[in-house]
Amino acid sequence: MELRPGDEIRARPRIMTRERMRWYVDALPTVEANDGRVHFSVPTIHDDDEYAKGQGLPGIISDGMITTNWILDLLLRSFGTQVLEDPGALVTKFIAPVYENVPITCALRVEGVEALPEGGSRLALKVWAEDGAGRIVTVGTAALRVN
Amino acid sequence: MATGRYTSDLEEGDRLGPVEVVISPFQVREYCHANEMHQPCFQDDPNPIVPPSMAHLEKLRFYTLYCPEGCGPNARVHYTFDVRWHGALRAGTPLAVEGVVRSRSMKRGREYMDVDITMREKATGRLLVEYRDTVCLSYREAAKDAA
Repeated sequence: MELRPGDEIRARPRIMTRERMRWYVDALPTVEANDGRVHFSVPTIHDDDEYAKGQGLPGIISDGMITTNWILDLLLRSFGTQVLEDPGALVTKFIAPVYENVPITCALRVEGVEALPEGGSRLALKVWAEDGAGRIVTVGTAALRVN
Repeated sequence: MATGRYTSDLEEGDRLGPVEVVISPFQVREYCHANEMHQPCFQDDPNPIVPPSMAHLEKLRFYTLYCPEGCGPNARVHYTFDVRWHGALRAGTPLAVEGVVRSRSMKRGREYMDVDITMREKATGRLLVEYRDTVCLSYREAAKDAA
């Protein structure tokens, strides 16, 4: 795939359901325990309506790392998992809350392509996640080597 | 040194770790499954690649170790994820992980904290992952704008 500055790749939309938020919430104590069993989190703003309202929110909001991981997934689907074997970078900033049942689309835009003397190229990318109205909720950059 | 109670007690210059860490295949599979990242390099490889997004969990590990009483008066909000990887980090690799509270600063009436984390191969000291995490400590104010 020949890439040029300005090229965009968009992922299929996903709905930020309550289940997706909870999968992430409960993954954290499960990973931390590392005992092969599922563990459940204490109430958080990501899975407990009353706790979220107690923090001044109208309802639960997703953990920003979910959209970060969906952006990472888009990078891997677009350029292959080889990009994890070579040096790379990903920056994301969470600029707006994502509430329950909001459709989220992740996207990337090629900002720069640098040919490497040893072969392959270095990509500079803008990455983001947007809601159903096209409002950006997560924005950032990525730098990857592709062959 | 302001460790031992709340996250919000951490001060600029506080050092976290180093701790010895071995990320297991189970941890990679669970984390990636929760984020719907089903690539074979995460789910099928007996020695899976650790996605760079899992560097975020090392911050949570330090919070558990050094701030056992939680966030403090307000829930914190994750604001920025910033990771650089220097090659593939594989599950099962003994690591030395350490962090430092790089800064605390006020911006538009909200307090932010940067924590820098490095993940090195324990046997060689080779730097594998660098991560900067930014959180907003005054969650109730920030909740209206970010997740």
